[in-house]
Amino acid sequence: MSELQDLARKLLEEGTVQVVIGWEAGRRGLRPVTITDPSDVEKLVFDTRSVHNLATYLDPRRTQVRKLGKPAIVVKGCDTKAVAALLREAQIERDEVVLIGVRCGGVVKDPAGDATLTLETVAPRCAGCDVREPHLADFIIGEEQPEPPQVTSIDERVAELDAMTPDERFEFWASQMEKCVRCYACRQACPLCVCDQCVADKTVPQWIERSPHARGNLSWHMTRALHLAGRCVGCGECERACPVGIPITLINRKLQQIVAESFDFEVSDDPATASPIGTFRDDDREDFIL
Amino acid sequence: MSEMTEPINDFEPRITAFVCNWCTYTGADMAGTSRMHMASNVRIIRLPCTGRIDALFIIKAFERGADGVIVSGCHPADCHYTAGNYHARRRFIVFRELLGFMGVDLGRVTFSWVSAGEGAKWRDVVNETVERIRELGPFDAYHDLALRQAAGAASGTSLDVPDVVAPVVAEAGDAS
Amino acid sequence: MSAATYISAEQLSVLVAELVAAGTRVVAPVSAADGTANYSEIETLAQATFNDALPMPSLKGHFLPPSEPLLSWRQNGGDVELTPAPNCFAAQVVLGARPCDVAALNVVDSVMNWDYHDDLWNGRRDASTIISIACPGVDESCFCSAVGLGPDATRGTDALLVAVEGGYLFEPVSEKGEAFLGEYERFFTAAPDTALAAGEAFRAEARARVEANLNIDTKRIEHWIDGHFDDDFWPTLGPRCNGCGACASVCPTCHCFDITDEQTGVGTGVRRRSWDTCQAKKFTLHASGHNPRDDQNSRHRQRISHKFYIYPSKFGDVLCTGCGRCVRVCPAGQDLIEILQGIDQLALSEEGSL
Repeated sequence: MSELQDLARKLLEEGTVQVVIGWEAGRRGLRPVTITDPSDVEKLVFDTRSVHNLATYLDPRRTQVRKLGKPAIVVKGCDTKAVAALLREAQIERDEVVLIGVRCGGVVKDPAGDATLTLETVAPRCAGCDVREPHLADFIIGEEQPEPPQVTSIDERVAELDAMTPDERFEFWASQMEKCVRCYACRQACPLCVCDQCVADKTVPQWIERSPHARGNLSWHMTRALHLAGRCVGCGECERACPVGIPITLINRKLQQIVAESFDFEVSDDPATASPIGTFRDDDREDFIL
Repeated sequence: MSEMTEPINDFEPRITAFVCNWCTYTGADMAGTSRMHMASNVRIIRLPCTGRIDALFIIKAFERGADGVIVSGCHPADCHYTAGNYHARRRFIVFRELLGFMGVDLGRVTFSWVSAGEGAKWRDVVNETVERIRELGPFDAYHDLALRQAAGAASGTSLDVPDVVAPVVAEAGDAS
Repeated sequence: MSAATYISAEQLSVLVAELVAAGTRVVAPVSAADGTANYSEIETLAQATFNDALPMPSLKGHFLPPSEPLLSWRQNGGDVELTPAPNCFAAQVVLGARPCDVAALNVVDSVMNWDYHDDLWNGRRDASTIISIACPGVDESCFCSAVGLGPDATRGTDALLVAVEGGYLFEPVSEKGEAFLGEYERFFTAAPDTALAAGEAFRAEARARVEANLNIDTKRIEHWIDGHFDDDFWPTLGPRCNGCGACASVCPTCHCFDITDEQTGVGTGVRRRSWDTCQAKKFTLHASGHNPRDDQNSRHRQRISHKFYIYPSKFGDVLCTGCGRCVRVCPAGQDLIEILQGIDQLALSEEGSL
């Protein structure tokens, strides 16, 4: 902890950055914090409840964060995938941000819950973690951590849905979609939903029905997922943010599977790889086209 | 909701086709000028290129009551704009699987390459699609999703479906 | 207000069955698979759950649905035929609602009957009898007693239930509540003294539990906000906020909506209103492109000001009933309890320095 705090203090005092974005202990577990005063660095904490993907705060449209000055953000390995995506898509420049990488041994699902990592509490995103070392970061701190408990719950649930008949799946999703109240917490929590003008906010023409009935909601959730195809880093912040408990990550996971199978693409922490949508191969599969 | 309870094979599917201007539209035109016989259930929307077809077009068609959708354009290497159909193909790969995952029967969506000279192929695509969707039946389930929402909504009305009588309207004075 | 009477769980179950059979829509907290509860229509009392879990979202959706039609239109040649949504509703009994949710309906009544009388809101209000249940105090994020209510507050309710062994104490609060008791008298018996004592103990314990969570003076907060539109405090709130509407959508008092037209066919469509939130960027976007609340700092100031300054100065009520749902759902850990403590401290220190 003191390593993180010392580094943050140094970066702020030197003037390398004007704000450090990390986690602090709130009344209910950990939560994001912006630190601009070097004397406040003692607030910085990193533990298994450092769940939030802080890359979300790099969205250039978050003017209230931008106006604090050049940021350093604390990132776990998985978070660097989102930073890489923002770099890949030219949303930010690499020299506009300092990345403080922390070695992570897994996080829990709920930053306000129990900090003990078990098969029950571990965040689904930690399954198959392939960025134990945050290579993209400018500084890497902390000891090497043991591997987090491995759960396969998301893939199992996707497989369960795949095994249903179309009608059963339709009913499953209809009953999920009818819960949605279109608060857009999923969109706002997503590090990659960075459009200045979201298609869901356009009402003339109204491509996505504005009303939160299951039909408009299905249109919204399919569009959101499609716009993240080949981009989603699987952080699961959308589902964690959802106030009504829609299993959004199942859709994202399915799309990751489709993209992996069809285009041999896995999202990585390398900003130089091209996104699979927006490019093509002459021999892409077309077994479904008459 | 419908007062009609006719046998399923009398059901006439409504099908929306999104086609590119340069190949399939011309191919469909050829089928017409050649006086080929085909089902009349398809409404064609002409676009410059399959690359212009957003997934939301297909979603919107289902929302507005289409029972099936056809998407058709130029064969690979024939795109008027060189690569529009390749980009479209990638997006359709993803979108088609997503539709299936959300529970839409993939028999309701036909993708095809039909060139300007393939009037007969267009006829076959149309006829096969119409027959397949006739088997699947109407897709009211999608349209009627608009009646479902959070809180079960003590909604006084279902104005969404114009010809349906409001179900939850009480007699005046019913309230205590 | 009459003295409490008693209904056993079995009798309540029969009563619910009778209400449902008579065509009354009965709404109660229902458990979901993941252990949460939500207010849903029930057919039998067995479906309802009156355990400790606070239903999520609030009861609001049963009076102001997330989305509802206002009118439908149909073009006939040059004419447009408009059909307004019916504003007459089937009788509804809400059973086991939390006092914070019920008080919220009463708070929101003011704005729904201010310059414009909202017939859809009033229609559902008039058609409803609300029987709340005394709450044990859910967790450390409850603060109803800090905004003038309490876990057993009766504001806005027609009758209050208090869970005791084997059944419930039933305390009518309004005329509707008295009428309900009168109509279904045969299900009720006199409350045993032991039950009355147990009910009192439960209520006192719950009040003490919630009072410990937050102690502020909402009047002091209202005064402070009045003079501190440009205070340095506000920009400390924005950076953390994601700018979503999770807080507003679970809030029992947030009542803002957006009106949009949805075409259903050629020349036909529906005008609907749907929940909206001041935390969304487009909420205040002008047609000119100008946005008076152009960052999350100003949008968050609006949320707090509306609840604790603007609404109280207009209607005399804080637009918050202390349910704490916004605290629990915020994905970024924004904490209204801390914000209120912060403002209260600022106000106190300014009073001290005068």
